[in-house]
Amino acid sequence: MSAHHHNDNDTQVLYEGDQSKLYSGLMNHHTDIQSADSKKQVSKIWKVTGILAIVTIIEVALGLYGTGAGMPKGLVNVFFLLLTIYKAAYIVRVFMHLGDEKKSFLITVLIPLTLFIWFIIAFLYDGGFWLEMNTKF
Amino acid sequence: MSQATATTQDVKSWNGGHSPFNVSYGKMMMWFFLLSDAFTFGAFLISYGTTRFFSAVWPDPNKVFHSFPFLGEANAPLLFVSLMTFILILSSVTMVLAVHAGHYNDRKGVIKWMLWTIIGGIAFLACQAWEWTHLNHQGAWWGSFTDPATALSSFEHFFTADKAVIAQHGLQATHDFYNYFFTITGFHGFHVFSGVIFNVMILLNTVNGKYELRGHYEMVEKVGLYWHFVDLVWVFVFTCFYLL
Repeated sequence: MSAHHHNDNDTQVLYEGDQSKLYSGLMNHHTDIQSADSKKQVSKIWKVTGILAIVTIIEVALGLYGTGAGMPKGLVNVFFLLLTIYKAAYIVRVFMHLGDEKKSFLITVLIPLTLFIWFIIAFLYDGGFWLEMNTKF
Repeated sequence: MSQATATTQDVKSWNGGHSPFNVSYGKMMMWFFLLSDAFTFGAFLISYGTTRFFSAVWPDPNKVFHSFPFLGEANAPLLFVSLMTFILILSSVTMVLAVHAGHYNDRKGVIKWMLWTIIGGIAFLACQAWEWTHLNHQGAWWGSFTDPATALSSFEHFFTADKAVIAQHGLQATHDFYNYFFTITGFHGFHVFSGVIFNVMILLNTVNGKYELRGHYEMVEKVGLYWHFVDLVWVFVFTCFYLL
């Protein structure tokens, strides 16, 4: 049996709820919140905060002035969707620490979400089809 | 050679004795719960999208949401919802900082940042209460705008379309719009509300020294995941209802 951070005895004696000890960062030997490593992480958190704030401001500005400035509504909507995904990715990757998890876990969580691609296409197409049927016939 | 070694290690990581994902059971289950919750919210939003796609007209968010507390009749589209968005983003930031403090077993840091997160959550709920009350005063609620005798003047200002089209389809669209609006923001608001409750529970445990005794603050991380998810959903609700 392999033992990454601990010996096998540890694993045997820890009851299920306390398993978390193995994976909660405790074993990463984090001790000092004032350490350079800790400060680096905090500054990354604030950097992402800045990005999320700026993207939101851009979205609101596009919402208020986009079409008025002559941009086609379709193009504005494409920007909205791209910026939304951009924000969501930062929240999941940095705030929820999914980027720090093992890649196999990341894939396990993200793969089911690809169902949304077909889900969205099918239902919106259906909505559009009904509008066409109701308008033409 | 190196490939063979990698394969052996890979097999070993699935041989039992420890988590192959290096994640505890509780945290993994929180992720899987959130995944299922993402599909619930996704189903709501896609259903909203379908209705919107088969409607000949749809209310313009800039014309529906244009009020701000204490500004009376001032026309301020998107301003209030931007404030709500910033409140939620900031409470998400304070939550990451609480999780970060937990990683370093910094009890005081966890308490401080959890408190700010709870305050942010309550502020968001207060904003939502104001927004709902305001819309309700304008006649909007679940099942509103169904009476065919409703005057055109009570909903035509929500639209940018041709007046004849609004007269024909505007009432139904306004009705659908508000049903989805209250259902989806209500479901999200309920998540915020339960998130605040969870955060208070975890804060109390932290204050009582429970996690210090346990030796780790993983519970903060778990409720943190839930809280970030609520922020994540709001990013999509914001786009679908207020921007698109």
